[in-house]
Amino acid sequence: MSIERVTQRSLAAHTLSGLQQNLSRLGDLQNQLSSGRAINRPSDSPAGTASALALRAQLSTNQQWSRNADDGLGWLGTTDQTLTNALDPLRRARDLTVAGLNGGAAGQDAREAMALEIDQIRQGLVGTANTTYLGRPIFGGTTSGATAYDTTGTYQGPASSPPITRVVGANTAVRVDLTGPEVFGPAGADLFTTLSDTAAALRSGNTAALQSTLGRLDAGISGVTAKLAQVGANYNRVQSLQQAAKDRVTSLTGSLSDVENIDLPATVVALNLAQVANQAALAATAKVITPSLADFLR
Amino acid sequence: MSDFAALSIGLTALTAARKGLDVTGQNIANANTDGYTRQRLDQEAVGAPVAPALWSTYTGAGSGVQVTGISRLSDEFVIARSRAENASLADLTQRQSTLAGVEDTLGEPSDTGLSTQLTDMWNAWHDMANAPGDLAARSVLLAKTTAVADGIRTVRQGLDAQASAGRGQLDTVVGQINSDANSVAELNQAILRYDNAGQPANELKDQRDLVLKDLATKAGATVRYSSDGTAEVYVGGTALVRGNTASAMAASGTTTSVALTWAGSGAPVVAGGELGARVDDLNTTLPGYVARLDAVTASLRDAVNAAHTAGYDLDGNAGTAMFATNATSADIAVQIHDPRKIAAASQPPTGSGPSLDGDNATALAALGQSTTGADSSYRQLVVDVGVAALAANRRHDVQATVAQKADAAVDSAGGVNTDEEMVNLLTYQRAYQAAARVTTAVDEMLDTLINRTGTVGR
Repeated sequence: MSIERVTQRSLAAHTLSGLQQNLSRLGDLQNQLSSGRAINRPSDSPAGTASALALRAQLSTNQQWSRNADDGLGWLGTTDQTLTNALDPLRRARDLTVAGLNGGAAGQDAREAMALEIDQIRQGLVGTANTTYLGRPIFGGTTSGATAYDTTGTYQGPASSPPITRVVGANTAVRVDLTGPEVFGPAGADLFTTLSDTAAALRSGNTAALQSTLGRLDAGISGVTAKLAQVGANYNRVQSLQQAAKDRVTSLTGSLSDVENIDLPATVVALNLAQVANQAALAATAKVITPSLADFLR
Repeated sequence: MSDFAALSIGLTALTAARKGLDVTGQNIANANTDGYTRQRLDQEAVGAPVAPALWSTYTGAGSGVQVTGISRLSDEFVIARSRAENASLADLTQRQSTLAGVEDTLGEPSDTGLSTQLTDMWNAWHDMANAPGDLAARSVLLAKTTAVADGIRTVRQGLDAQASAGRGQLDTVVGQINSDANSVAELNQAILRYDNAGQPANELKDQRDLVLKDLATKAGATVRYSSDGTAEVYVGGTALVRGNTASAMAASGTTTSVALTWAGSGAPVVAGGELGARVDDLNTTLPGYVARLDAVTASLRDAVNAAHTAGYDLDGNAGTAMFATNATSADIAVQIHDPRKIAAASQPPTGSGPSLDGDNATALAALGQSTTGADSSYRQLVVDVGVAALAANRRHDVQATVAQKADAAVDSAGGVNTDEEMVNLLTYQRAYQAAARVTTAVDEMLDTLINRTGTVGR
């Protein structure tokens, strides 16, 4: 510029474009500061945008996994509670069966009373087996019906149903249901049949039959206990996966903020610097443009 | 040389100084006029008569000053460079503004953009898998899927609106170019007349330069001066203006296939500047992004339809297509309106009724994680727009500085410096005073000769 001829108009144009640049920098910084975001449009940082979009999707997916886990925990918790509740009456039925075996001399009335109690237990167990979670029978597999067993203790669900799972992580689905036959035994050899056989044996005083039902009852109880352990294990698994998802939500939120949000102190400092620069430019403009030879000629 | 000739010298000097003051005044008056080029008085000393006459007594002192013209101090090379730089600046400005429009249409990254809507939809499929029998979850899913379809259509409408607005503006720009071309032709004619009459036409030339700069930014026009001083304007190698005749161009075609043709020959116009960028935006840039959006739409449509038709709905019927099989980004819509018709189950109905497994919903939810699915191709689209916009912004910023430098060079050559003019003002004022003094001196000399001589002894 030194060898070029300088005119008032080019000086003004230079000054104006300089002021414009200062002001636009100030505007950008103010926009960032007021929105709190460093990326307001893809061109602000294409790489940052790619990260932000991917992080948002991951964040949302992890939150969904955590929600899925909540649902799975509800289902598994209900199953766990139901099975625990079912064990007490079953043990009572076993006690009654043992009492029936030992009290061979007991009168017909006493055995009838025991048989009646076992009938009650069986009815209760059918009710327990029809426990629902959010309107679905938890032991009904994929049935769309309202119950898993009818009042006679016949399984209502589909003969074979795929496991009901909850997706709680990338490619990780945990089974949350147990079908009736899995818990209470296959049709015809389930606990309901065992209990009605027990009641019948008590009524008839058939010790041999009673002895066999005691064995079946024991096997049934240990089957339920084993399933209870499986439910507990799945519950723990879902819980730990949910925790992992929640931890990821926290770290992803942090990463998203790192990518998308402004560094507040740095931006404030930059804004102050831009303001100072702008004020200096304005002051310089006020001083530089005014003087001309006309001021010094008489 | 006669004694009275000295008075005539004083007169020419007075006239020249007056003329100089006029030119300086004109410069000062137009110090801030856009496109004004400073002028300078050209004067030369009047020497001896070319053919000495028999009885003339030439003393060799010259016979004053004469004004030969008023020249316009412009530098055509610098101006040509300024035109070229401003043409590419206009091109880049237009491209930058188009890409900024696409960015605004996409509205990413945000909590409301299509990307978030897609994620919300996949999450709704997860909720469906959790509660396949729940009509509320099914209704939510339908709403979220509709939101995605609406979101895609909104982006498409934004791109279409941008294209049709651009098409309208293209006609306006073509109209301005044609009108500019006529102006140049008329100015050429007027300037030629002044030149033929030996009169300066500096102000008209300033006007012509302004129009030529406008033509350069609008159409990337280049200028060549013919021997008679008229400007010839070329766009893509074809003459737009020659002498006092101007051609015209016309834009035809739809928003996605615009053709620029010369009105007479029908040959295609290869334009630069704003016009070239606009044509390129309409024919290439915007349709390119529409095609990318269509690809995202097709990917979403086919994946969802394929997965959905593989399942069974709440009544045990096989799933139907969620979107029309030939839906594009312009008309994608959810075809299923009954929440019961959503196929969440992967198992056909059994004797005990429809299956309530949510495995098909889980399979659909998993589509959101696909690295080749709609989500990822949409994200790629957003990032590509961002990269293109960033590149356009940077090129624009660089070119803006270059164009500013070129304009400064033009101004440096032809702009008015008021300090200079002040000095000129002083110079001509003093010259006028001195010339008046010359006249007075000659007058007094003649007075002595005429009135004071011959009075010896009176």
